[in-house]
Amino acid sequence: MDLQIKNLLKTFDGFVALDRITLNVEEREFVCLLGPSGCGKTTLLRIIAGLMPYDAGELLMGGRDLGAIPARDRGFGIVFQSYSLFPNMTVAQNIGYGLKIRKAPRDRIAARVGELLDLIKLPKVADRYPWQLSGGQQQRVALARALAVDPSLILLDEPLSALDARVRADLRTEIRDVQRRLGIPTIMVTHDQEEALTLADKVVCMNHGLIEQVGTPQDLYLRPRTRFVADFMGSSNLLPTAWVRETMPHLMPGRPDGAESAFEACVRPERIAVTPAPDAEGRVIDLTFLGNIRRLRLSWRGRELLAETNRDPGVEPGAAVDVSVAADACAWVRA
Amino acid sequence: MTAPSLTLTDKARPRRASRPLDERLLFGACVLVPVVALVLFFLLPLATIVWRSFTEEAGGIGVANYLALFRTPGILRATGNSLLVGTATTAVCLVLGFAVAYAAQRTRVSGKRFVAAALSLPLLAPSLVLGLGLIFLLGRNGLVSNLLGIRLNIYGFPGLLIANVLYALPQAVLIIQAALRQSDARYYDAAEVMGATRLQQFLGITLPNVRFGLLSAGFVVFTVTITDFGNAVTIGGDFSVLATEIYNQVTGQMKFGIGAAVGILLLLPTGIAVYIERVAAQRQFGTASESALPPVPDRLPMRDIPLFLVTMTLALSITAVVATVVFASVVRLWPYRLDFTTKHYSITLSGGYDPLWTSLGVSAATAGIGTVLLFALVLGLRRMPPGLAKAVYLLAVLPVGVPGLVLGLSYIFAFNLAGTPLHMLYGTALLLALCNFYHYHTQGFLTMVTGMRAVPAALEEAAGCLGGGVLRVLGDVVVPVMIPTLLSVFFFLFMRSMVTLSAIIFLVSPSTNLAAVTVMRLDEAGFVSQAAAFSTCIMAAVAAAALAMRGALALAGRRKAA
Ligand SMILES: Nc1ncnc2c1ncn2[C@@H]1O[C@H](COP(=O)(O)OP(=O)(O)OP(=O)(O)O)[C@@H](O)[C@H]1O
Ligand SMILES: [Mg+2]
Repeated sequence: MDLQIKNLLKTFDGFVALDRITLNVEEREFVCLLGPSGCGKTTLLRIIAGLMPYDAGELLMGGRDLGAIPARDRGFGIVFQSYSLFPNMTVAQNIGYGLKIRKAPRDRIAARVGELLDLIKLPKVADRYPWQLSGGQQQRVALARALAVDPSLILLDEPLSALDARVRADLRTEIRDVQRRLGIPTIMVTHDQEEALTLADKVVCMNHGLIEQVGTPQDLYLRPRTRFVADFMGSSNLLPTAWVRETMPHLMPGRPDGAESAFEACVRPERIAVTPAPDAEGRVIDLTFLGNIRRLRLSWRGRELLAETNRDPGVEPGAAVDVSVAADACAWVRA
Repeated sequence: MTAPSLTLTDKARPRRASRPLDERLLFGACVLVPVVALVLFFLLPLATIVWRSFTEEAGGIGVANYLALFRTPGILRATGNSLLVGTATTAVCLVLGFAVAYAAQRTRVSGKRFVAAALSLPLLAPSLVLGLGLIFLLGRNGLVSNLLGIRLNIYGFPGLLIANVLYALPQAVLIIQAALRQSDARYYDAAEVMGATRLQQFLGITLPNVRFGLLSAGFVVFTVTITDFGNAVTIGGDFSVLATEIYNQVTGQMKFGIGAAVGILLLLPTGIAVYIERVAAQRQFGTASESALPPVPDRLPMRDIPLFLVTMTLALSITAVVATVVFASVVRLWPYRLDFTTKHYSITLSGGYDPLWTSLGVSAATAGIGTVLLFALVLGLRRMPPGLAKAVYLLAVLPVGVPGLVLGLSYIFAFNLAGTPLHMLYGTALLLALCNFYHYHTQGFLTMVTGMRAVPAALEEAAGCLGGGVLRVLGDVVVPVMIPTLLSVFFFLFMRSMVTLSAIIFLVSPSTNLAAVTVMRLDEAGFVSQAAAFSTCIMAAVAAAALAMRGALALAGRRKAA
């Protein structure tokens, strides 16, 4: 089943938290809501879950209007950032809670709990209490609990943000695997762009209650449409039109029509080619070694540029370098 | 204590390797003095009562006193009655207390502030004021009997039950409310999305998560009830209970051994309560997170209307009972002749208002000594090695497990021994003050510990690094931050000390009579209107102290903001 959100409006005492959001989530699709703190991601997720009313717009699940259906009858699964396991129940009781509510027979609950514990690779913790689990384990159990009732949609609100980097990376792939296998449409909130890029079929980049851009991870990274998206998804060089016209005229044909200040060129650092040349115009300001890549700060034709390369560029700070950008390496973004 | 340290501070010091000597001396003394006092005035009496309970009348050591309990019919009956009234009070308090706490914490029922204010009334008065008020309202010569022309009999079990419920309810509410606060909105969000109805959420999440709070509240109510003295004397009638029976055995028949044995048995329920509280604290520790989102109170007419009716009825009942006492104290003959008079305010009992002044003095001493000792203890504890600090901490929280009745008894055993140096204290107001302080030691100590946590260690260190001596740092950093806490502890000790009866009932002498005891004596002697007048004076004093505390706290807050 697919989820359609049309012109969803949500205000808090006059403050517009969601400004007429329109979004589709297809069957089997993994959607990431990405954006800075306070942009309305959680609000959108809670409205979809039915935990919060909205002011105007439409919410359709498989064509059926969700507006009048209370959260408890929507049949979704939800996982929060942390600590939402019921502290008074064991892991098995937590996972089986939704089924118990639905009056499933005891042996079926037990079987399902066992199955899910295997799925999340924690077969031995059934009788522990939440406080006896690590943060990562708690989140796995929370995921299993959401999956137990065969939800028609899974909602994840920053499920990984309270975990440390290693556990986060492991769990990320696990969530992705499980979602692929079960084919349940999933919406995950995150403000970690790397997480969004690695997990999502579709990334929804939000800012101030508005959707800036929706697209595949590649779309958002390679073809950002706004300055905000370009900036938020990784680092980039944002170059004003006048400067580009003067220094890199070969990039101009791709520019949409519009006022001089309406668009800027976005060039990702790894698309800037740097070659040492004795009497070239560019100068290396400094060089940072980041393991797999090296980052160079350059000064070139009156601007400072950021370049990245995964080979040793063979230059020292102060060295003269030639700078070139391929015609297809630039995306024009709305400023 | 401060003068010698000052001179030491001013002396040129050798290079500071670890802590300077003066600092170590000061903080050592900070811990040592309160700990020695704890040992002398808490551990020693407790040990004495244990010892006495095993000392047989003939002089040998054995369990004869405990066996004698079973052969004393009065004690057996009183024990049965105490258990009965204790259990009934606990059951009623848990149900009502949960309703009030739930309404306050999880709903938007109106009138919450009024309910909270009404529930704090019993804390301002000695317990027997509630018994007194109930008699005025429902007694044989009470308002209701008079209006309906019947003769209600409130004395005995029913009256005691109601009075105990009114008295213990506020304490139950505080504990249950604290337990209800320990929750997270996301539990409910998750349950909602999983399909649980309101009722299922309540039964599956809310109730199980406050079960330790309920248990702990239950034990507190039970203990308060079976060791409370005031209501049993006032409204118990022929329904004899353990508290009054011990009092009779000890002060009436001089059966000290039996008194000691009962005292030891009374330690059991509180012991269990304290243990449960600790277990609960550990459990809670496992689940609490800093980023907890408190559940948002909401409206639900089906639940809120009955809750509103119950909480309002309770609040109005408590207010009515207390107000009746005040009103009855200023009318000629309650409830028959309601013309205004102040004649009941001239107390005919020998001593007149002296006990009130003694009470004020004792309470001020309790508060003063207590605040200084607790502050010193907590200050010193911060610098003790962790193992030692933990041991002292345990000792400091121990007094909560000892009911006032047992503490009072143990003081007789420890201090009424001619020939020992501590005998000097017996019968003095100072001993009363100390007894009150150790009765409420734990609550004061925990408040102080919490307050001290708010003193940023970094700030203290920064001031120290800037070259401030210990006393400078204390005066410039610690004390200013601690002022609200110090005020709270001071007034808490003062107010409890003004109204408590159960411990000091064993220790008062004609020259050091206390206000709460006087109310009891007046009531016993049949001067009920004078008892009401005296109670009103106590309540006025305590209410004034409460107001003074609020004012002082507001002032301290303003000064801080400025
Ligand atoms: N109950 C509320 N009442 C008033 N304003 C609210 C409420 N909940 C959220 N907001 C506001 O709505 C905006 C969006 O909040 P939301 O929680 O959706 O942000 P978010 O994108 O999830 O941020 P984060 O990444 O920090 O979790 C914020 O400006 C917030 O202050
Ligand atoms: Mg959020």
